[in-house]
Amino acid sequence: MKIIKESNKENLTGYLFVAPQILLFLIFLVYPIIEGIRLSLFQINYQDEVFVGLDNYRKLFSDPVFIQSTINTVIFVVFIVALTVVFAMFVSAAVFDKNAKYVSFIRGAYYIPVMVSMVVMSMIWSFLLNPANGLIPFVARELEVVSVNFLGDTRLVLPVIIFVTFATNVGQAIILYIASMIGVPKELFEAAEVDGASRMKVIFKIIIPMVKPTTLYIIIMNIIAVLKIFVVIQLLTGGGPNNASTTLMYYLYNNAFKYNQLGIASAVGVIMFLITLVLSIPQLRAMFKKD
Amino acid sequence: MFKKKAKKREKIDIVFNIIVIFFAILSLFPLYWLVTSSFKNSADVVKMPPDWFPKTFTWSNYADVFSNQPAFTWAYNSLVVALVSTFALIIVSALAAYAFSKLKFKGKNILFIIFISSLMIPKEVMIVPLFRIIQDFGMVNTLSGMIFPNVATAFGVFLLKGFFDTIPDSLREAAKIDGASEFKIFYKIMLPLAKPGIGALFILNFVQVWNDYLWQLVVGQSKDSKTLMVGIATLMQDLNPNFAYKMAGATVAAIPMLLIFIFFQKYFTKGITLGSDK
Repeated sequence: MKIIKESNKENLTGYLFVAPQILLFLIFLVYPIIEGIRLSLFQINYQDEVFVGLDNYRKLFSDPVFIQSTINTVIFVVFIVALTVVFAMFVSAAVFDKNAKYVSFIRGAYYIPVMVSMVVMSMIWSFLLNPANGLIPFVARELEVVSVNFLGDTRLVLPVIIFVTFATNVGQAIILYIASMIGVPKELFEAAEVDGASRMKVIFKIIIPMVKPTTLYIIIMNIIAVLKIFVVIQLLTGGGPNNASTTLMYYLYNNAFKYNQLGIASAVGVIMFLITLVLSIPQLRAMFKKD
Repeated sequence: MFKKKAKKREKIDIVFNIIVIFFAILSLFPLYWLVTSSFKNSADVVKMPPDWFPKTFTWSNYADVFSNQPAFTWAYNSLVVALVSTFALIIVSALAAYAFSKLKFKGKNILFIIFISSLMIPKEVMIVPLFRIIQDFGMVNTLSGMIFPNVATAFGVFLLKGFFDTIPDSLREAAKIDGASEFKIFYKIMLPLAKPGIGALFILNFVQVWNDYLWQLVVGQSKDSKTLMVGIATLMQDLNPNFAYKMAGATVAAIPMLLIFIFFQKYFTKGITLGSDK
């Protein structure tokens, strides 16, 4: 009898400790997800909601701007994530075994753009790339590169945004890789040295395989971060020229807060939610395997 | 023999490190350009070829930012939103993380799995329903409206549970035998021991909320309810053609984070890495 009482008391204490978190979680996470799915099935006009089934989704897939947004988002994800992983791996493998001051300088130099935020960096890049009086078009003219309107050219706008986003955010991956490489057991490197393995061999045969969990983490975190890419689009191109650089998040935002198409916007949100859910499965699996 | 090996190792290493240093400097260049441009006058800032070092030095762009725009109000809003979000997050998630780590209660594992599964879902994808909730609560144009969704993230629970897990259970049992209540154990014994984790969470979350944009843009629509990031970004659409003025605004938004990074670099490295290896 007493034991049952004890365990009930423990249960209650446990619930009390998690209650505030659960309450917030239900209101601001679980409910919005369910409500988002519901809204995506309605046509919404201020207070007026009409059930339309899957019409919003059908409309989406017949809207060329949505298709363009999806294609652009996929392009951004693929190129930015690939660039980030390769470059961060390169930088980290070069510096991780050097002295601490140097490592901390390199880490800082690449991480400071992350710190000052995408908003500030986008403003700087917008100034640097400004066709009339930006530094980069000036240099391009001096070097006699043909096009200097980097953000106004439909063929150049995607590579430019890929570069700007990559250059602003790569510091995060570098911090993760350096920490992970410093954690690789020293004996492995000593053994390789005894065998006379070259630096390249050490990188490819020891470092890259040993940091694989970090690579997985970086890939997934970056895919999800790039999936919701918004700031750089709004501040640099406004989705233009001619929707050439629009993305899913930008499309969602415009539909929700400019065109007042809440049903359509919700449908985009649901699609993005499902994509993140699927993408996070490998990472979650890796996390639970450890526990 | 040792010398030869060391030399062979260094050659490609040196080449790699030169490339790394070159890009590191390149990566800092935009910020150099930002800060120096913000001190140029409106003519010098667009002069081509440019002055690589500003020849004139003026504070007037900063004076303009603070006199033409409610920049102090924006900075104050950002500070309140970031601080309150972070404090609330720490309290709420420390409580939950402690329970998940040390207490036994029915449904604990399944609850934890649900929490962790939400970790990767960005709140931006639910921005329409979230905004409608904030609307129903009458919190549009308020700082509370910006704060609440920030506290609902499972990130803090995830990070702090790792810290509580490293604290031996024997401490808690000993205190229990002495007759301490569960909350007292949490507050007096466990919380102080989890300080490094709380410090890392504080810095990481503060910066994240300070730099957050989309949600604050949506909630703070009136000029005086904007946060610094959102307010400063509106300078880009400002009709004022003076780029130095816009760069001064961006510098104002960047400086607090630069200072935080310089003083707390250790915490960052720790906090960011914690997420990946737990």
